[in-house]
Amino acid sequence: MATIPDILIIDDDRDLVNSVRIILESRNYHVRAAYNGQEGYCSIEEKIPDLIILDVMMTTDTEGFDLAYKLRRNPKYVNIPILMVTGFTQRMAELGPENFQHILSEDWPVSQFLEKPIDPEQLLAAAEALLMGEASHGHHQ
Amino acid sequence: MDIINDTIKQQIFFRKELRERVYWFIKLRWVAAVIGLAGLAAARLMGLTLPLGPLVGIVLFIIGYNIIFLLVGRRLLSTRPTEVRPYHIFAHVQISLDIISLFLMIMFTGGLASPLLIFVIFHIVLAGMLLSPVSCFGYTFMVLLALGALLLINPQGLLHLETIRIGSHFFFHQLQHHELIISYLIFAMALVVAAYLITSVKVTLRAKGRELLHISKQLDISNTKLLALYEMIKEIGTKTRLQELMDSATHSAARIMGVKACSIKLLDKDKKYLEFASSYGLSQEFVAIDRIEVDKSTINRQIIEGSLYSIGNLDEEDYFQYPNDVRKEGVVSMLCLPLRVGHKTLGVFCVYSGESNYFSARDADFFSLMTDLIALAMEELSQSTAKTWFLNKTAHQLRSPVSAVMSMLYLLTKGYLGSLTVQQQETVARCEKRLSILRDTINDLLKLASENDESRRQPFHPVNAAATLQAMIPIYLNQAEQKGLIFEVRVAAELPQVLGLERLLDEIFTNLISNAIKYTAAGGRVLVSLSRESTEKIVFKVEDTGIGIPESDLNRLFAEFFRAENARSMVEEGTGLGLAIVKEVLDQMNGTIEVTSQIGRGTTVICLIPTRYQHVIS
Repeated sequence: MATIPDILIIDDDRDLVNSVRIILESRNYHVRAAYNGQEGYCSIEEKIPDLIILDVMMTTDTEGFDLAYKLRRNPKYVNIPILMVTGFTQRMAELGPENFQHILSEDWPVSQFLEKPIDPEQLLAAAEALLMGEASHGHHQ
Repeated sequence: MDIINDTIKQQIFFRKELRERVYWFIKLRWVAAVIGLAGLAAARLMGLTLPLGPLVGIVLFIIGYNIIFLLVGRRLLSTRPTEVRPYHIFAHVQISLDIISLFLMIMFTGGLASPLLIFVIFHIVLAGMLLSPVSCFGYTFMVLLALGALLLINPQGLLHLETIRIGSHFFFHQLQHHELIISYLIFAMALVVAAYLITSVKVTLRAKGRELLHISKQLDISNTKLLALYEMIKEIGTKTRLQELMDSATHSAARIMGVKACSIKLLDKDKKYLEFASSYGLSQEFVAIDRIEVDKSTINRQIIEGSLYSIGNLDEEDYFQYPNDVRKEGVVSMLCLPLRVGHKTLGVFCVYSGESNYFSARDADFFSLMTDLIALAMEELSQSTAKTWFLNKTAHQLRSPVSAVMSMLYLLTKGYLGSLTVQQQETVARCEKRLSILRDTINDLLKLASENDESRRQPFHPVNAAATLQAMIPIYLNQAEQKGLIFEVRVAAELPQVLGLERLLDEIFTNLISNAIKYTAAGGRVLVSLSRESTEKIVFKVEDTGIGIPESDLNRLFAEFFRAENARSMVEEGTGLGLAIVKEVLDQMNGTIEVTSQIGRGTTVICLIPTRYQHVIS
């Protein structure tokens, strides 16, 4: 890739945003940040990023998912890979997937999940893979 | 609708009686014929002069028509007509023929002086039992008429019938004509009295029968209603959202009460306004009216204050501010009650009927029971929803900062913020360690708090414990290997499935196995097994050769946050919640846990887990 990849982080936890930014900038990626779903959507409209790193739970339990579905429904944004950062998998393991049926009913709107706390190596590996277009869009695994 | 049902039921009820008697008649007739023939033979042996020919002929006639009756009776039995009429006709034909046969017998055995005369009374009694009072009296008078005619025309003389004698003696005292008249009158009186007695007893019995029918019908109705109510409560108990619960409740209530519409209005927080929260059978327009100010609506205020409100006919009085709106819905009568739990009023529950004065006092009682049960279900759901919401929020609030701090510490340890001195590295590593313990504690604590809540909502189902265990073995095999332990798993073949949830089983297995590995030093051995205790229970056993548990600590093992002294000194991480979670889960699944241990030699934990074949008490 000739151009520097543009990555958008959407998370309401500024400490996490900063950590992710530090990790990604260490690889010379161009990093933008938004602190809620609305702001994130505006940033995407401004300029389509090469990768979105999205938090599941912001103001509401599913704000991240809501944004992800919104992007998937828009043909302009459907191909942007989404890396979802979440404590969700942990929670899902505890509650059992049956409690998430209402979220899982559609296809997964995200490309890959990354569990919190964020391990720098895992983050970089996932980001790199998604930027290379390895993960299939719209389906998890 | 009800009247038709009633008649059908009555008909069925009385037809049954009639049918049974009709067959009983046929049996009795065989007996009578046999006795008749035997009697004739005996009379002959005793030397009585009898007109044997005609008498035998009559008995044969009886046998003949009884055979026909038997065939007709069988046909009736197979076609089972729903009407009472065929049975009635059948009974009439039988009684008429019997009376005719008896009359002929009497005629041939001495007319009014015949000893068989007394049998007429039995026939009248039978007619009274089976047929209507009018028919019974009809037969009585016909018989008396026929006997009167016998008296008048004296067929003995006409037919030249002989008087019955033994040898040269008269079998009976020869009565004079006037004596016969007296005897006839007395007999007539006796017959009428018999008819009167039997018909009046019959009428009373019929009335009682009808009453019984009525009661059984009422019982049927309340039984059906109660069953429906039970189904309804079971159904709304599975709902996880208040709206779904209320919609299900209004729908079922309308169906069970047999009415056109039902609604739930909820009170707002300040108890000032009521608003339609769920309705069934009412138009969108009607439901979309503005919230009702309680102070301005006398009816609703009274209901909220706790009184039952029943309106028999909305047209008669000026109940509503907008009576036309209500009329447009086709509502004529209604019944309302407050939805209350203890002293807390949640709202108002109403059913609406299109018929005037539809609701009886009995309906009101039943409706009150239903309302209380719905209020309870609503309250329980909103409380558990509030708890779940709170736990979710807490989980997020507690975990987020821990995750953020850990993510930031990774930046330090992985060198993203420059290299650290050895001392700095050590300190950051300690921070990471302490934080991971904190994270585990938070997770376990939330798990323990939500355990009751979440899993009670999900129905238990048969789970393959062996498969659940085997799926997690590789992780522990790996851990044990790294620690230098011998790790063995033994699973009995064809174990019965347990009744529970995979997640709960997972919780039991994970906590107990990881404890065993954690508290057993290198070179030790951990043995995990699943076996069958009986069809009703399986045994999950974890044996280790670890540090053991001091005897004094055994009874405190399942208390939250408890960790035995030696456990704390051996392993730093550990929340002291693992065994409490296991205990909680086993309690839910009706299982038991037993721990035996010897300090320095090892610990054995045995769990008995009920299978799907066990009768679940709860």
